[in-house]
Amino acid sequence: MPEVKKLSDGIFEVIKDKKQLATKNLDLGKTVYGEKLITVEGVEYRTWDPRRSKLGAMILKRFNIPLKKDSKVLYLGAASGTTVSHVSDIVSEGAVYAVEFAPRSMRDLIGLASRRKNIHPILADAGKPDSYSHLVEPVDLIFQDVAQPNQAEIAARNATRFLKKDGNLLLSIKARSIDTAANPKEVFKEEVKKLEQAFEPGFEILNAKDLMPYHEDHLGVLAKFKK
Amino acid sequence: MKINTWFGVLDTSRAGEILESRLLSKDIRELALYSLSLRESRSNLPPEGFDLKAVALESGFAESPAEYYSLLHEVTLEAAKVQVSGALTPDQRIIQAVEALDDLNETTNSLSERLFEWYGGYFPESGLGGEDLARFIVKYGSRENVGSEDPLYPKARNSMGAKLEPADEVLLKGFAESVCSLYERRRQIEIYIEDSMELVAPNLKLIAGPMLGARLISLAGSLEKLAEFPSSTIQVIGASKALFKHLRARAPSPKHGIIYSHPLINTAPWWVRGKVARAVASKLSLAARIDFYSGEKDPSLIEKLETKILQIKTLNLRPPEKKPKSGAKPKKKRRK
Ligand SMILES: C[S@@+](CC[C@H](N)C(=O)[O-])C[C@H]1O[C@@H](n2cnc3c(N)ncnc32)[C@H](O)[C@@H]1O
Repeated sequence: MPEVKKLSDGIFEVIKDKKQLATKNLDLGKTVYGEKLITVEGVEYRTWDPRRSKLGAMILKRFNIPLKKDSKVLYLGAASGTTVSHVSDIVSEGAVYAVEFAPRSMRDLIGLASRRKNIHPILADAGKPDSYSHLVEPVDLIFQDVAQPNQAEIAARNATRFLKKDGNLLLSIKARSIDTAANPKEVFKEEVKKLEQAFEPGFEILNAKDLMPYHEDHLGVLAKFKK
Repeated sequence: MKINTWFGVLDTSRAGEILESRLLSKDIRELALYSLSLRESRSNLPPEGFDLKAVALESGFAESPAEYYSLLHEVTLEAAKVQVSGALTPDQRIIQAVEALDDLNETTNSLSERLFEWYGGYFPESGLGGEDLARFIVKYGSRENVGSEDPLYPKARNSMGAKLEPADEVLLKGFAESVCSLYERRRQIEIYIEDSMELVAPNLKLIAGPMLGARLISLAGSLEKLAEFPSSTIQVIGASKALFKHLRARAPSPKHGIIYSHPLINTAPWWVRGKVARAVASKLSLAARIDFYSGEKDPSLIEKLETKILQIKTLNLRPPEKKPKSGAKPKKKRRK
């Protein structure tokens, strides 16, 4: 009989042969990207592969994930929805505003969203929050994984517009999308400094850790507004 | 203060009270199209931290949070479907811009030539052409108005050109203004293409540069098609003119697609140009695929390409012994 341990609201560890990160499946019987379904005491869990998800990796790296079942999340860089699907599981009574720019990825995301009521897909450039400000309410968490050189700026723009006062920002920074040649550690230092200083009111960094061994040259950052 | 939202337009007081609301009907398709129309609007944006859901409930658009989310879900889904299905895709907009740019270039050049001919009768010594000439005419009209601070002043004074009558001056100035605005428009489109390429095909832009990248998409018909082409096809895209020549006049079969305007290729020594072109084409093909399937920018692509080309060049330092077909002058180039 598999065992289940709760890590935080909506996030679990299912132990069956080995420990596996998981969320309660909101879309019963269906998988999204080839993950496993494990039923324990009548509850269906979906395993979550940290190697395919920065957020999954952040959880295993002991980031405090500020999500509850009714949280509102703005997700920037949704891609085809691998991670979005788990966030949708976690905020089962909340909302995920999933912003993605690439039409090809959006096609997959539409498929996912049509089976999950709490995902609101938005095809737009996350660098231009004005273009979706008529759709998005104030949110508790902004999660961003866009792998763009100006990611700090994108985060700041969206946070100013949409983040609640006591809301959080979770960011995955990819060193190579900012500077291929430089030492990732230096790049990370720069990016963290930017988040802290380059924008008004600036972010307070609560946690910053690399995502090894799940993702190479990636930094996870948890921050909140200084105001 | 007027505020645009996906469910209607609100008029609020400074304190945030709703004074008036024009709500849309709960027709999903209509709401979705309306929402899409708001993407580009720069005015009446909801202010920072504006609580759309609260206002939707207060104004009576939705009766409960559950209804609000359910409508929002249907609307965003429908809007996203409209956007991905066809005409509105960003690569199609790039193609339109590239074609507009070509038309604009043609018009600008021919009007510029006309202006040159026309004004040449009045100030043949100006030495100006193109945009500089158009700006000059807009500024001064007749050469008699050129001030002594202008470097062209001496030439204008001593010009052999005819006197420009006021009626003709008005006409020429107006014409020159049109030419100036065409140049302006051209820059605007170029900037648009650069920005769009960064978003739609950042890797292709990295390898090809914005204009060549946009032209490749345009000639292929879409980013999707370009991503499906083998790199041997990418190498000859845009060579159709050369292809006809080949068929008609038995000219050499075309190896030169538009990628031959790429600086890495056209600056390469002739004896490695083919190899370099193949390397560039294969990276372009990879870049188009990454752009289409993941959209993630990978700056290491260009470094890898440059390393590869350096390798090609160091392996082929000297031209081959055999004379090239054209029998050009390899002797002079060979040293030692
Ligand atoms: C690393 S992937 C995200 C993977 C996703 N978070 C997951 O774990 O399933 C980055 C995504 O961000 C998207 N992206 C990049 N720049 C963007 C922008 N300015 N606006 C919206 N999406 C963007 C890319 O198209 C790509 O799908």
